[in-house]
Amino acid sequence: MSGVSHFKPDDEYSGLLRAIVESSDEAIIGKTLDGIIVSWNGGAQRTYGYTAAEAIGQSIALIIPPEHQAELERILGEIAQGRRVASYETVRITRDRRLLNVSLTISPIVDTAGCIVGASAIGRDITEAKRVEAALRASEERYRSIIDSAVDAILVIDRRGRVEAFNAAAERLFGYPAGEVLGKNVNLLMPQPYHGEHDVYMARYLATREKRIIGIGREVTGLRKDGTTFPVHLSVGEMTIDGETMFTGILHDLTARVALETQLREQAALTRLGEMAAVVAHEVKNPLTGIRGAVQIIGGRLPAGSRDAEVVKEIVARIDTLNDLMKDLLLFARPPQPRLAPVDPRPLLETVVGLARQDPGARAITIQVEGPSDTVMADAELLKLVVQNVLLNAVHAIAGPGLVRVVVQPVESMCRITVTDTGPGIPPEVREKLFTPFFTTKARGTGLGLSTARRFIEAQGGTIRIDCPPAGGTSVTIELPRSAPAAAV
Amino acid sequence: MEPREFSSASFSPIMPINSQPSRVLVVDDELLIRWSLGEALTAAGYTVVEGKDAAEARQALRDIDHRPDLVLLDYRLPDSDDLGLLTTIRREAPTVPVILMTAHGTAEVVRGALELGAYRVISKPFEVHDMASLVAEALAAR
Repeated sequence: MSGVSHFKPDDEYSGLLRAIVESSDEAIIGKTLDGIIVSWNGGAQRTYGYTAAEAIGQSIALIIPPEHQAELERILGEIAQGRRVASYETVRITRDRRLLNVSLTISPIVDTAGCIVGASAIGRDITEAKRVEAALRASEERYRSIIDSAVDAILVIDRRGRVEAFNAAAERLFGYPAGEVLGKNVNLLMPQPYHGEHDVYMARYLATREKRIIGIGREVTGLRKDGTTFPVHLSVGEMTIDGETMFTGILHDLTARVALETQLREQAALTRLGEMAAVVAHEVKNPLTGIRGAVQIIGGRLPAGSRDAEVVKEIVARIDTLNDLMKDLLLFARPPQPRLAPVDPRPLLETVVGLARQDPGARAITIQVEGPSDTVMADAELLKLVVQNVLLNAVHAIAGPGLVRVVVQPVESMCRITVTDTGPGIPPEVREKLFTPFFTTKARGTGLGLSTARRFIEAQGGTIRIDCPPAGGTSVTIELPRSAPAAAV
Repeated sequence: MEPREFSSASFSPIMPINSQPSRVLVVDDELLIRWSLGEALTAAGYTVVEGKDAAEARQALRDIDHRPDLVLLDYRLPDSDDLGLLTTIRREAPTVPVILMTAHGTAEVVRGALELGAYRVISKPFEVHDMASLVAEALAAR
């Protein structure tokens, strides 16, 4: 039976044991199965404050705080069963009523006949250790919460590139829970070619100590769990923990800044395009007008119905196409300043639908307008151009018999105009480029229709989006602010 | 280049019989525009005088004996690209209707021209055969 003491006759060996017990720093207490203290060493006196004379003969309850009294019965029950209670952490109370954190090991004491007659309890004061541990935990907690509350992503890697720490912002930025990243190679978070080269960069740095990013910081590309990439500013610091080289990376998401820069660049480009378009338009339209007029005059002198007269008509038609292109370009590059006024979209839509019905492609197509009258703040002329464009797209998409529904629907402060067609829908790879200027799928198109439509709608404080519902077809949704109530005007 | 003069060879039904044909000054730096307008208006019974810039336009308007009855004026000329010429014409010949032609007239230009009393602002390109009736309409509205 290991861990069980045997009562021996009071001989020399027993005297040695007593000396060992007495000199121990740990509190060693002997007690009966009823919990009566029968021995009490110097360690017990130093720990609990009672002398042996004071303690012996008393119940061990003497050093158990009231809220822990139930433990006594449980421990004595275990002992009576011949079981040992090891490294039991609990609280005891001293003579001067201080509470101590102690770690106890309590073993049964068996007499020569093999009967359990009592228990030995060895106690160690772990109050200080507990306090240090708590302080350490609090300190770690504090650093952890600082790191986790940081807006920027923070991660730590070891010299092999394994991720040692990954804060909450990093989880949000990369879309990985920390558990999926810790212990993995940090190149998990990088797209190619960095993914493949990072180990090389690290090995080179560890060999040469030549700093290319450490202490400098630079713009890099991050890779999210979903496979998307994003611009991020990375600064790297080096540290040594327990002789081990570690690197801390702080990553600042640049998505918004890059988006803003892109937007500003696009605006600047559009402004330049607008200036250029105005000049080009004049330089092109003026001669086009002359050519068109002169060709018409000459054509008028040709025998009607002759081949030459037909060719002249074709020339005029081509000139008109060129002129339409110039018009589209100008509308996109120099959109007129919208002049907002309360407009009822219903009759406006009826008018545009009336025009669309006359399109040669719309013969087999039913176009219907639904929904209530409403009042939006819009520039009627610009809105007409947009709806006309969207309707013609729908008609061209259907290319045969079909249905186009134009629905007006007030939605809180906005008026929603939805144009839904029964056409073939739009492939996803085309869908994301729909509003890109000069992108077109038509054989003869400038690719400016929808980008111009968006400029117009946004200039009127509205939004436009295109969806392809799973049921098929395409749905264009325009939302414009509804007119403010009369009292507010 | 001196302003050239085209004379009507045939009578137009819109012209009053026994009166001098109305004289139209066409001002544009684009030769083909002047020529096609000249042809179309001459065929409609008008006498057409051409000017290729603002200087020639002013000279033609100062010709008391052959003063134009109407001006077809390009907004942008080599020596004028604002409403200054229109202002001059309206001041010196307030009874002469002016039809302004623009290749890219902004809303401000159109409004400004109409406020100065232009009879109409038309954008290029236009239907050359429609011009004769527009001219007749402007002359009738005097």
